[in-house]
Amino acid sequence: MKYLRTFLAMFKGRKLATIGLIWFCIVAVAAIAAPLLAPFDPLEIDPVARLSEPGTPYLFGTDHFGRDSFSRAIYGARMAVIIGLGSVIVALVTGGLIGMISAYFTRLGHVLMRGVDVLMAFPALLLALVLMTLLERSVTNTIIVIGIVYATTTARILFGMTLKLKGEVFVDAAICSGAGHGSILFRHILPNLISPLLVQASFIFAFAQLQAAALDFLGLGLPPEVPSWGNMLSEERIYVTRAPWLLIFPGALIILSVFSMNLVGDAMRDSIDPRFKDDIAGV
Amino acid sequence: MTLKTWSKSAVAGLALMALTGTAWADGMMRYATVGEPPSLDQHVVTSDLATTIAHHMFEGLYTFNAANAPVGLLASGETISDDGKVITISLREGVKFHNGQDMTSADVVASLERWGEHGSRGGLLFGNVASVEATGDHEVTITLNEPFGPWKNLMAFINGGPAIYPASVMEAAGKEPIAPENYIGTGPYKFSEWQPNRHVELVRFDEYASPDGAADGYAGERKADFDTLRFIPVPDVGTRVSGLKAGDYDYAESIPGDLFADLDADAGVTTILNGGPIFGLVFMNSKDGPLQENFALRRAIQTAIDKTPALQVAIGPEGLWRANGSFLPDGNVWYTDSGAENFSMGNAEKAKSMAEEAGYTGDPIKFMVSTNYPFHYDTAIVYTKQLAQAGFNIDLQVYDWATLIEKRAQPDQWDLFFTHHGFVPDPILISVMNDNYPGWWTTEEKAELKAKFTASSDPAERQAIWADIQALIYEQVPTMKTGDVYTYNIASPDLKGLGEATLIWPHFWNVSK
Amino acid sequence: MLVYTIKRLLALIPTLLAASILVFLFIHLIPGDPASILLGDTATPEDVAALTREMGLDQPIWKQYLLWLSNVLQGDLGTSVFFREPVLSVIGDGAETSILLATMTMFWIVLFGIPIGILSATKHGTWVDQMTSGGAMLFASVPTFWLGLYLILIFSVGLGWFPSSGFPSVSDDGGLANLRYLILPSLTLAAPNAALIIRLVRASMLDVSREDHVRTARAKGLHPAKVAIKHVFRNALIAVAAAFGFTFAALVSEAVVTETVFSLPGIGRLVVQSILRRDYPVIQGVILVIVVLYMIINLLVDLAYARLDPRVSLK
Repeated sequence: MKYLRTFLAMFKGRKLATIGLIWFCIVAVAAIAAPLLAPFDPLEIDPVARLSEPGTPYLFGTDHFGRDSFSRAIYGARMAVIIGLGSVIVALVTGGLIGMISAYFTRLGHVLMRGVDVLMAFPALLLALVLMTLLERSVTNTIIVIGIVYATTTARILFGMTLKLKGEVFVDAAICSGAGHGSILFRHILPNLISPLLVQASFIFAFAQLQAAALDFLGLGLPPEVPSWGNMLSEERIYVTRAPWLLIFPGALIILSVFSMNLVGDAMRDSIDPRFKDDIAGV
Repeated sequence: MTLKTWSKSAVAGLALMALTGTAWADGMMRYATVGEPPSLDQHVVTSDLATTIAHHMFEGLYTFNAANAPVGLLASGETISDDGKVITISLREGVKFHNGQDMTSADVVASLERWGEHGSRGGLLFGNVASVEATGDHEVTITLNEPFGPWKNLMAFINGGPAIYPASVMEAAGKEPIAPENYIGTGPYKFSEWQPNRHVELVRFDEYASPDGAADGYAGERKADFDTLRFIPVPDVGTRVSGLKAGDYDYAESIPGDLFADLDADAGVTTILNGGPIFGLVFMNSKDGPLQENFALRRAIQTAIDKTPALQVAIGPEGLWRANGSFLPDGNVWYTDSGAENFSMGNAEKAKSMAEEAGYTGDPIKFMVSTNYPFHYDTAIVYTKQLAQAGFNIDLQVYDWATLIEKRAQPDQWDLFFTHHGFVPDPILISVMNDNYPGWWTTEEKAELKAKFTASSDPAERQAIWADIQALIYEQVPTMKTGDVYTYNIASPDLKGLGEATLIWPHFWNVSK
Repeated sequence: MLVYTIKRLLALIPTLLAASILVFLFIHLIPGDPASILLGDTATPEDVAALTREMGLDQPIWKQYLLWLSNVLQGDLGTSVFFREPVLSVIGDGAETSILLATMTMFWIVLFGIPIGILSATKHGTWVDQMTSGGAMLFASVPTFWLGLYLILIFSVGLGWFPSSGFPSVSDDGGLANLRYLILPSLTLAAPNAALIIRLVRASMLDVSREDHVRTARAKGLHPAKVAIKHVFRNALIAVAAAFGFTFAALVSEAVVTETVFSLPGIGRLVVQSILRRDYPVIQGVILVIVVLYMIINLLVDLAYARLDPRVSLK
């Protein structure tokens, strides 16, 4: 409750960021309740009703398979949340661990951060491209690939932050009181990093949407049968003049969601420990 | 950086924006292609895109007229011995290669031999060739082991076919496609440059010796009106359409069916239908897996599928597709409805009981499809749904094209895969007739009919045998045809001489703007 | 500084080596091979095997890698399987487009980003600040292919102001006027990337203006505008220099999507197409070149940083 209150306090006086937060909640609700909210089966094919204009019963019209775009958009919200959260977890857990451990155990850290350097030498999208061609198109693989891409930056950031904290008095105090390495890392250092991690998480969530959409566009992202906003855009983009609604709705949904998460992240960044502010690049 | 240089750059930027207007002369034809051809060597490469470009440079001994009959191009005539085994071809005189040399029988022999040994479709003919000899400066004699009906069709089909190159180029050529510096042919345009990812450029060949007679399909007079033909890869289909509308291209290929009505109504765009339809094929594995020898199960799968909804979804407007079970289209000499009553039953109930009788117990059936071609993927999605309704457990595996090609070569990796086939003038060229093509359809019944089919030279008899082969395909189901697709291209209305429809590949001799 | 530079350059070598092994392994593990792509659908497995042998692609991976490495050390990146042209010249062709595109994108970013960032900082906290920051962030939230698609529809099909796609070389007919082909793509790329510069300029201006020497300058009675330009702007440049290098390197490679939408013959599309065609030598070559470029730019940024900001010392 206390955390929630401090969290909400960050949005005080920030109208745009509040709207962003509300939009994110809407997406989250749509994601959870997709089967209840969607009027049609998002995969049901109906050649007779193909390319119907928005109206009733198809709120967002239908695509070239005759599938209901509104239902697909709702299930797309679910995909957006899965991809976003999944990438955040992969990036923060792997990147975070590597960063923290590297900063704490300097010898091992030297080797680990070298490995991170190698991966960082590859531009993000290129790395994702090569990995996605190697693995098969699937939701899990997309999450892993995007997660790895952002794990490298996360590792760098946490490396720097942990280094700063390592020199602080409270860490020395913990060492003196005989705390083990694990205890120092996770009970003393980690709690101080929670809010910067949350900021990083919101930016990764936002970027992951754009990366996933770009991969879908290049035909190397989610399997094409999965209803996601990126797939809706790339599959139907040839209909931009013939059936404009097929690009407007999913496009707007992606923009709104990415924008919201960026706003939320921005608001949170302004309220965190000033020592860490510059470490998180964000947009 | 000072403010002064800042404002300078801003001015430069604005000046740049003002610099519009076209710098191209009318002497250039700009063709937006779907991608980059693998190579332009016609002997080994069977990509349609490669032929679209290359048939302006390379010519064979024969070509097709508008009725899809083979007629002389570099050949001026031929005589065939009574037993049908010795073919003597006379060559046109005064034909020059792009390097200035005269074309003689030595070049033809060298080209045919390389094609026979390494060419994609060469083995089909050369499995039966005893010798190819130059029997004069402009005369070549081919001796066959057995009479071979489709020889002239095979020679006229330039895609994967016997283009005539100089003997000097053929000397060192093997299986690997020849390099661009060796793109030397006899056609009305010659190779100029290939800038990777940018364009392939051909320029007019001024010493071109055109065949006589009025233009008729690919036969007859060939006149190069453009100075330059430029083939520009524009992989994104939306960009091809936009680019043509914006005047950046004169011609754009492979446009989705759903845009046809709008584009056809647009005064700024001409639509050109391709005369020869392409068709999708779902191959079944005859070497491994549950479908291996179980023809009854294959027929059950065939029975479950209704081809029409898939064509509606994948192609769009009627008129651009035909739910036609004959492997060659209506109006063609090879058209036959033999066996075609099984083409599109769409009977889930019957399929279910047929599958049960065939001993199917719900084992997964691996169906491979590629997303590189939207029409493959769209069709496969509809089929998978229909098959599921008939109780089949379909495991749809979506790959990129390169992966699919590798996997299909391994019999244990798949049960069904999706591909498509271009229009061919002789059924012997259809991939399912090739015993080594993945799927590996090699039953005794096929072998027997195929032997009869190639041995005969009598058109009526060959047509009758083909009807039997087609019936056998519907009975043993080595592959399922998905229906005819009439693709179309779009052009600027300024292009003159294009005609209503394309024969097989678009050509730009006798075309101007 | 020289010692530092040499040290950094030497440190690049093991990273590069590791990166090249990684790439080599990755792309050879991808199923599919160039021979079957070249020969097309009608080719039989026997044909494909024969061509694979002829191209020397049937050797074990480690042998192929060592051969490749020894060639690279002699400055030979190999020959493209697909184009039958040296990889270096294939990359060279793409580099023209990519570098011009990145430069032009940078031009827009600087042209719009710096003034907007300054404006945002001077009007700190007002609605102008909120609008500009919000607007920049909105642009950063648009999928690039979506933006590109609509720019083509509006500005080339609709208004006919700019060409829709393609890019003839500036050494080709048309000369420098061919740069107009890059206007829409560079704007597409600039839109999402401008936000970073705007934010950096704004933040560093705010930070710097709070610093002592600026306050001292003001206290000395120097004209506020002069203070702004002389001190604040110069210091803001430091931040921009860092962002500049970073963004530039990213632009060269991350233009993949933009180059596909606008059919530009750049490095990004070359990589994607080469992956689809399994043109191993080109993929290896391009990634190697990009990685080197990336690292060198990072080094240059660090060096520039040290020059511009006396507080930074090179360790």
